[in-house]
Amino acid sequence: MSSTKNERSYKAQKVLDRMGQKLTRQMVGSLTACVHCGMCTDSCHYVLANPGDPTFAPAYKADRIRKLFKRHYDWTGKVFPKWVKAGSIFTDEELHELKDIVFGKCTNCRRCTVNCPMGVDLATFNRMARGLLCYVGIMPEGVEYVAKEQWEIGNQMGVLKEDYIETIEWQEEELQSEMEDPTAKIPIDKPDSNIVYVINPREIKHDPRSILDAAKIFYVAGEDYTMPSEGWDMTNFGLFNGDDELGGAVAGRVYDKVEELRGKKLVISECGHGYRSTRCEGPNWAKKDIGFEAESSVITMLRYIKQGKIKVDKSKNPGRYTFHDSCNNARSCGLTEEPRELLSLVVEEFQEMYPNRAENFCCTGGGGAMSMAEYRPSRLKSAKIKADQLSATGAKTVVTSCHNCVDGLTDLIGHYKLGMEVTQLVNLVANALVVDDIVEANKKKYAEKEEVGA
Amino acid sequence: MSSLLHFSEHTLQEVALVFMATVYFLRIRWFLKWPLGKERQPATGLGDTNPKKGERYSLGLIAKPWAMESTRSKPLMYAQFVVFHLGVVASISLSFIIPYAPGLLTSTPLVSVIQVLVGAACIVGIMRIIRRISNQYIRAISSPDDHFSLILLTTWFAFAFLAAPNDVSAGEGVMLTYFLLTAFFLMYVPFSKISHYLYYLFTRTYLGRHFGRRGVFPLRRKPAYQMSK
Repeated sequence: MSSTKNERSYKAQKVLDRMGQKLTRQMVGSLTACVHCGMCTDSCHYVLANPGDPTFAPAYKADRIRKLFKRHYDWTGKVFPKWVKAGSIFTDEELHELKDIVFGKCTNCRRCTVNCPMGVDLATFNRMARGLLCYVGIMPEGVEYVAKEQWEIGNQMGVLKEDYIETIEWQEEELQSEMEDPTAKIPIDKPDSNIVYVINPREIKHDPRSILDAAKIFYVAGEDYTMPSEGWDMTNFGLFNGDDELGGAVAGRVYDKVEELRGKKLVISECGHGYRSTRCEGPNWAKKDIGFEAESSVITMLRYIKQGKIKVDKSKNPGRYTFHDSCNNARSCGLTEEPRELLSLVVEEFQEMYPNRAENFCCTGGGGAMSMAEYRPSRLKSAKIKADQLSATGAKTVVTSCHNCVDGLTDLIGHYKLGMEVTQLVNLVANALVVDDIVEANKKKYAEKEEVGA
Repeated sequence: MSSLLHFSEHTLQEVALVFMATVYFLRIRWFLKWPLGKERQPATGLGDTNPKKGERYSLGLIAKPWAMESTRSKPLMYAQFVVFHLGVVASISLSFIIPYAPGLLTSTPLVSVIQVLVGAACIVGIMRIIRRISNQYIRAISSPDDHFSLILLTTWFAFAFLAAPNDVSAGEGVMLTYFLLTAFFLMYVPFSKISHYLYYLFTRTYLGRHFGRRGVFPLRRKPAYQMSK
């Protein structure tokens, strides 16, 4: 329902009421402390790709949310609204304008956060604003669709349980074939395992090779692991749409399944937002203290090499590789060194990208941007910054630990005709595995068994 | 000294200080009523940092221009920040020295130091006013309070420069204006962006705690391990 300026629409009122329930002291600090110094401006890839347009500046975008807070919750804004640029929101059209800012002009990458001298965390309250809009049903169509899938089917790509199991079984057959071991398994719902391995639904739908690669690594390492039949989606659209309830429900499904299977450790396949959601934010959203360890598969793979459980030969991955830090991994979870160490062990030449780690630029597909088709032109325009970063490395392959980044980077590489490939660490580690002896031994073992059987 | 100047230097300043402290108290009480978001996640990162270390790093960033890209890439902006805030300290100190320890200002070097600091801050203030008006990014985010606060401080610096010798032989106009501005400044601060220093402690502490727990702070720019060739 729309409304005139004199009366507030139902949705606008709901947004303002809900804001008061979602604000934390950390957010209020960020909403209050900005001094409009502009030091964050150049940290944003949208600004750099759109010179001369101040509406992309982080502080400008933040002020679209801040003005509501000031007008309705901060008494300086209540008393002197015009003096501090406080303002309200009245119509659904204004809510849609806000949607285009919080979803379409920011990927919640947190690069401005780490560059703000005052410690203002724009991404956190930008996410809150997304949540307020989703609460009244105002969000990009793609976000609505994916969130619905995750609520109703249990994973963000609507993969049915039968399809999931079938894909795992298919990869199990591939594993048996590659390892020459007809008894090789990708266990499902095996109780009391050391590791419960959860993945991104994209691996089922578009990249089953990653499941096989992980299975090969677990097989060679002799790991006692399992994949769950439910609660296997470690991605979480609650991070993107700001819906803490969805975030808690999705993360809770994973945690509940690990507890049901009595798994000792949760290992999360390579996915920036999935890692952040399941490892970091999930316990907050689900309001649950998890009683088991959780780690990224990057750390698991690195440990296998260091412990000598798997052997790798970097000459199997020739050429120059560079590494793209996922924003969620680097700026929200501190996962910057392990992927580099692992990469340097499995490729011949690693060329660092600049800037990197917590200063790296977003792939521009973050914050759920890949599911927001209406903002694709703007996203790809802003991707020029990333494209220049990639080109400068001279690498033919960019490695990342994030499925979302794989899609974002692939899109921009195609758009800017960079001629680069995108891959993940699991693929490189699996490719570098020294397995000839194991395969030969398996061949011999099962040939002997066949002979005995005959 | 006229009774008006005496009133301005003493009673007015004391009232203004009490007013500022009262509003700050209410402001902090309001701020602390908001629920503190709880972090349940087990720590991430290499294990060489923690929330306390993150807090210290975060609060210390103010003195580490090399640590953040935004300050590293704009050394002149950082220098302006330092000069401007040193000027604030000098001007506030002056407002206490004149009424309570005027003897200190018989020392020419101290007067010179104060004048250099507030004079430089005044120049930076003018540069910042120009930047706020001419830079389209800054102009777009500026509120009337941003402009007014900057003009107020810059003017205050100018009068602090003139007031530093504490000499009323040529008239009390300068001293009177300086103390009236100081009193107005003290009463205006809690309602304006100038009170950012109050929130700075909170925002940087919370962010540092958060990023320390997650292994992000201190920010890394070099390998934390010996990279294999």
